[in-house]
Amino acid sequence: MRVEYINPFVEAAFNVLKEVLVNSDVRRGELYLKSASTPVLGVAAIVGLAGDVEGRVLFDMNRDTALAVASVMNGEQLATLDDLAKATITELANMITAQAVTKLHDLGFQFDLTPPAIFTGDNMEVSDQDVEALIVPMETPQGKIEINVAIRERA
Amino acid sequence: MKTKQDFPAINERKPDGFRPDGAAYRVLIVDDSVFVAKQLSQILTSEGYDVVATSGDGQAGLDAYKELYPNLDLVTMDITMPKMDGITALEKIIEFDKNARVIMISALGKQDLVKKALVMGARNYIVKPLDRKKVLERVAQVLLK
Ligand SMILES: [Mg+2]
Repeated sequence: MRVEYINPFVEAAFNVLKEVLVNSDVRRGELYLKSASTPVLGVAAIVGLAGDVEGRVLFDMNRDTALAVASVMNGEQLATLDDLAKATITELANMITAQAVTKLHDLGFQFDLTPPAIFTGDNMEVSDQDVEALIVPMETPQGKIEINVAIRERA
Repeated sequence: MKTKQDFPAINERKPDGFRPDGAAYRVLIVDDSVFVAKQLSQILTSEGYDVVATSGDGQAGLDAYKELYPNLDLVTMDITMPKMDGITALEKIIEFDKNARVIMISALGKQDLVKKALVMGARNYIVKPLDRKKVLERVAQVLLK
């Protein structure tokens, strides 16, 4: 997978997180590569891409982080990962992906997005056939959010 | 000691959520995200608007519009929704009431769909993430026209 695909997602994640977490300290961690199936941290919003390139982007975090992020975005402390909290994380994924895709379109890539879906649970795995995933951890005061991108050009 | 309340409120602005006759503007929110719907509702309610209904997809939004008509001043319309998308719902609402005031709520990167909506009769659009100032400005613009 080409590294240039992930940069728009990292930039967009940085911008959107800064905005929705109200100017808190958001830092980008070190990029790493993972092949085969990817265990997720507990809450994962997934967006699919189809067109010139295909694949998926995963926004992955543990439950405490998801709840803390959703609480900030709602301006109130949410007690459980209920429908509102899930919709909030889904919308976060939506906003980050939309911003990243605008950049990728400007670079000349044409593709569509599937609406984000959210998964929660322990010991979940996402299996990507033959696609290695690039992961960039974003550190926020609410915890770590991993941007996990697996994209390939269509054969 | 003088407190703020001792001064006459000469600079107090009338909230935008009220019509010239003093009644609150009535708003229908159509959005499949409970988060976005709640955010919009909080922003609008805080300025005096009356959010009379919230629908989770385009079909429900269209049905709600017909039911509430003519006692409705504004619709906020999401674009990507299950069952019926916001562009189709907009089209059907305008078909039913050509004077309908609909504002599109869009994610970034949907310029083509937003343009299409504006050509079809949407009055304005707001790009997410939503912030209070942006939402209230666009809504007030549409209602004052
Ligand atoms: Mg939507």
